[in-house]
Amino acid sequence: MSLELSVDGERWRTHLRAVAERTPGLVPVLKGNGYGFGLHRLARRAGWLGASTVAVGLYEELPEVAPRFPGDLLVLTPWRPFHEDPADPALAKRVVHTVSRPEDLPALLERRPGARFVLELATSMRRHGMTAAELWALAPDLRRLGGRLEGVALHLPLAHGGHLAEVERLLTDVVAADLPSRTVWVSHLTDAERDRLRAAYADLELRPRTGTDLWLGDRGALRVTSTVLDVHPLRRGDPYGYRGRTAPRDGHLLVVSGGTAHGIGLEAPQGQLGLKDRARSVAKGGLDAAGLSRSPFWVDGKQRWFAEPPHMQASMLLLPQGAGVPEVGDRLDARVRYTATAFDRVVVS
Amino acid sequence: MTPTVRTISPEEHLAHLSSLRSASFLQTPAWGEVKTEWRHESLGWFDGDRLVGSGLVLYRQLPRLKRYLAYLPEGPDLDWTSDRLADQLAPLAEHLRAQGAFGVRMGPPVVTRRWSAAQVKEGLADPAVRRLGDLTPTVREPVGARVVSQLTTLGWRPQGSDEGFAAGQPQYVFQVPLAGRSEADVLAGMNQLWRRNIKKADKAGVEVTTSTGRGDDEGDLKAFHDLYVHTAERDHFTPRGLAYFRTMADALGTEDPDRFRLHLARHEGDLVAATIAVRVGAHAWYSYGASSTEKRDVRGSNAVQWAMLREAIAAGADVYDLRGITPTLDPEDSHAGLIQFKVGTGGEAVEYAGEWDLPLNRALYAAFDLYMKRRA
Repeated sequence: MSLELSVDGERWRTHLRAVAERTPGLVPVLKGNGYGFGLHRLARRAGWLGASTVAVGLYEELPEVAPRFPGDLLVLTPWRPFHEDPADPALAKRVVHTVSRPEDLPALLERRPGARFVLELATSMRRHGMTAAELWALAPDLRRLGGRLEGVALHLPLAHGGHLAEVERLLTDVVAADLPSRTVWVSHLTDAERDRLRAAYADLELRPRTGTDLWLGDRGALRVTSTVLDVHPLRRGDPYGYRGRTAPRDGHLLVVSGGTAHGIGLEAPQGQLGLKDRARSVAKGGLDAAGLSRSPFWVDGKQRWFAEPPHMQASMLLLPQGAGVPEVGDRLDARVRYTATAFDRVVVS
Repeated sequence: MTPTVRTISPEEHLAHLSSLRSASFLQTPAWGEVKTEWRHESLGWFDGDRLVGSGLVLYRQLPRLKRYLAYLPEGPDLDWTSDRLADQLAPLAEHLRAQGAFGVRMGPPVVTRRWSAAQVKEGLADPAVRRLGDLTPTVREPVGARVVSQLTTLGWRPQGSDEGFAAGQPQYVFQVPLAGRSEADVLAGMNQLWRRNIKKADKAGVEVTTSTGRGDDEGDLKAFHDLYVHTAERDHFTPRGLAYFRTMADALGTEDPDRFRLHLARHEGDLVAATIAVRVGAHAWYSYGASSTEKRDVRGSNAVQWAMLREAIAAGADVYDLRGITPTLDPEDSHAGLIQFKVGTGGEAVEYAGEWDLPLNRALYAAFDLYMKRRA
């Protein structure tokens, strides 16, 4: 048995439909591991939702998505001369490239005459994108260069509810460019922000790109479980594991499915910056130093400690004396980062 | 092109203004003479020997200090279409700093958005719409957006005029476009009430005469002022003294005979409405107005507006400008009546880039900013 994502299908689909209904022009984002669901599944789901365009992260993701979704395919990673975009001419017609440097546009259009593209404007995030002045300088050449401008793309930082000032400033930059397209592809806006913008900028077509809030917006519809593969009683001082550690006290050793191959126990830097969060990481670091760290697995109502670093496909957990001991074959709840976890099975009811 | 900036004579300044299709009357050398409380200076931008820009600077002194806020109301007159505004604004800041300025305030004469009369009317009727900005404009002007965008990056600070009338010049005005339109076109664009009132005034025998308001016509200015003081009492605002209007009539009228025109509407010898019209090039303004409380049914106010409009059309103006409106579209707001009256002309609500400040001395500017906020 395996690490499994089970989805309450009815509840999930209801959530997806609700998001689509309140988000006109929605562009579902499918990239990476497909938010845990898999790219192929999300591609079909986006078609079922009636989206006209989906966004993928990389050119390399197109072959998995394109056969399962009939509409347009926006590639979020900006085009660079070293990118190999699809040779299939039928696919080329559906692909919308992201151009984030002025010099890339002539290069793209030389390689792919008539290509469809969006121009990415730099935001306060400063990842990719051109400055307003670069966009203005490029605007008068668009006709001469050819291709098909599909709008301007903005990738906003995460700032729930705090985007309006920046968006209005960026839209001023867009208006100033006097482009032959009125479409703005934008990420990470709250519903309230979108409503404000739709009223004040009804002359612009907003295409909200949404990934996490769409696919993972209703966590209650999702359940991640691991299987108990083995249970061993442990006495204080008993040796165990690859590394020959000894048990700190009496209890049980559990072997459960889910290891590094699934992304279990692999940590990314934490996003939180608050003092409390940092204090928590410092405390946690102390336990890390003692060779103990918290696993994502829950047994008998509590998040349990790893007994040793996770193995490739399984993990060992310490269960102290007094806790309810599961049986082989029982399923444990796990809390994981969906975007960083490879599930063995995804079951949608 | 990186131009240089230096003081120019009023004659050079006027010569530059007359080369433009449109410039604010607040940027004429004559306006510097009207604002007697402040030192003023005409500035020129030079590309080599060629005069390519001009501005009227009013220096407002800080109490007890020989330091000034340099103010260019509705100006300067530069090439605002440039996407290298820094080249024109940096030498301005340098010059003003050398003159003892701790900060610069200006109002770029560029439009950012326009809303048609029909849209404004809908907005007034729609309870969800509280302000002009809540409505999608008919036109967004790329040149204006580019100015706003550049000023933001260059460290200029927008001076909010969000609620009511700010201390400076209004960011939102109401204008009737005249370019390529005949009297009949303009009349047809007005709402029914305006057309009916204009006709009514005509039938009632209201006569509108014009006057320079100075020299032999000085009596007309006095008549205007008496009615204006009466209006101020009725409408609860503080009137300006007659001397202010004398200075205005003299300075503007001497600079150009078309600059300042009084319009007086009389019914059977009684003055029922009077206004001041101002024109620079192809831009005509309705500047000050007064009306009697008696005989309102003869519609002197509409008659005098129509006379000013006709005069502007005859002079080949592109724009008839009814000046400030507040951005509110909330019918409960006391300013909504004003916008409603202006909307009747069938023109458009126009948003300018607004007033912007550049601090040159941070400490003094911060102190001044605080002082202005306390006063407001």
